Amino acid sequence: MSSETCNSFDLSDLTPEEKLLLDSIRKRKLQLLQEIQELKDEIADVQSEMDMIDVSDGSQNNPKTKQMSIGKKKFNMDPKKGIEYLIDHQLLPNTPEEVAKFLFQGEGLNKTAIGDYLGEAKEFNISVLKAFVNLHEFSDMILVQALRQFLWSFRLPGEAQKIDRMMECFAERYCELNPGMFTSTGISLYESIKNEPFKIPEDDGNDLMHTFFNPDKEGWLWKQGGRVKNWKRRWFILNDNCLYYFQFTTDKEPKGIIPLENIQVREVPTEKANKPNCFELYTPVQDIIKACKMDKEGKVVEGKHSVYRMSAATKDDKDEWIRCIKASISENPFYDMLAARRKKVLHQK
Amino acid sequence: MGLWLSKLYDVFSEFSGSTPARILMLGLDAAGKTTILYKIKLNENVHTIPTIGFNVETVSPVKGVSFTVWDVGGQEKIRRLWQHYYQNTEGLVYIVDSNDKERLSEAKEELHGILNSDEMRGVPVVVVANKQDLPRSMSPSEVADGLGLPKMTGRKWYIHGACATTGEGIFESMKEMANLVKNNKKY
Repeated sequence: MSSETCNSFDLSDLTPEEKLLLDSIRKRKLQLLQEIQELKDEIADVQSEMDMIDVSDGSQNNPKTKQMSIGKKKFNMDPKKGIEYLIDHQLLPNTPEEVAKFLFQGEGLNKTAIGDYLGEAKEFNISVLKAFVNLHEFSDMILVQALRQFLWSFRLPGEAQKIDRMMECFAERYCELNPGMFTSTGISLYESIKNEPFKIPEDDGNDLMHTFFNPDKEGWLWKQGGRVKNWKRRWFILNDNCLYYFQFTTDKEPKGIIPLENIQVREVPTEKANKPNCFELYTPVQDIIKACKMDKEGKVVEGKHSVYRMSAATKDDKDEWIRCIKASISENPFYDMLAARRKKVLHQK
Repeated sequence: MGLWLSKLYDVFSEFSGSTPARILMLGLDAAGKTTILYKIKLNENVHTIPTIGFNVETVSPVKGVSFTVWDVGGQEKIRRLWQHYYQNTEGLVYIVDSNDKERLSEAKEELHGILNSDEMRGVPVVVVANKQDLPRSMSPSEVADGLGLPKMTGRKWYIHGACATTGEGIFESMKEMANLVKNNKKY
């Protein structure tokens, strides 16, 4: 917290001309920093392109697996684009039957997205819907049971027309497999639904599955509190230049978010932290790291950490976290300027 | 510069008052949220990059009123995180790129998604029809229709044309937000 030392000279000693000069120097510095950032971004772009090339060489992980997970991620965000991507990359044959099989297996796919795709009125989607329904085995099932199974495989979209199309497909398939079923099922149908309400996949379209799918790194870390210096175990996810932490791996909402912007990361010696394999996020310019966390009532509030100290299970894990965080940090000169401004205002006060 | 400083002084002299109202600023990516936030905060044009996570600033656009404004990144992938910030929100500022006709329906969908959530019930909305300086931009009333605002019930809303880079309309929008928040508190 002793960051005030650099401001020991007094700005008010300067003549107006000197102040103007200082201002213009500052502006020029900002411009230069911006240009540097632009160049850095360009380099990063080229780098990521080069990385892609490496991947297709098959030197590292299996590129098909990587593409498959990219495709699934895309599907969860926009089903149409996801399927297009998978077909373009020859991971999925371009037939309704194969697409249906892919959706039916459903591994890593969001059920709302599956529902959206199946509900589309395009000819191809309707063929996929039919093929999808045909993959269900409804023989000798009572209607409710069959319905339960069907409605569990995706999330029914909200639009009546889409629901209509889907239910019609279902009815057709069911009747085909169970001829002569509709003679005496009236009462048992009512009883069954009364006794066991329909379960719809728990997925309200607000889940964060696609936000945190395929992260840069994830894992358990111990995190030290900001005010009370106790250690808590948290599930961390590093994704898109942000560090998110959760109380449990299954939590839908993060407990905290730390944008990796204009901060730095360094190792902390065990003696200093009283805990092994420590590293910390710190900021050379600002007093407090920009971050937010959820308070006890579930309201998001600003974080108050001047450093975020974390402890990993092993040395390798710590090194890997530091490496990944370093790669994710974004530098934007604007935020340094902002920090300087804030300080200036506080001093004037 | 002097005027600007006195404005800033106002901002800080009001901190001693009541706690700032919690305002959420949302909108599609590249709508101009961060530019507007820092126009209010610093009265300066900043070249922003797509927001990483969020920005948060305490501002005082009107004497006696202070806002904690949460500006949350608008890229599609992270929009699902918006709901994380809903709780206790007293006003929504929704920024729309008036020049982006193609994505107006997407903007509408996202807006209604936000407003339909329980935590946002009754919360007033100010829509800022940004980028009015561009020659092919839609008028605020076109934007309002495109977003389905006239059909909205159960909350107060307001729309204002603006240009974040010149600051035109920004101040007015914030003033209206202050009014709506104040009136909403009376109940």
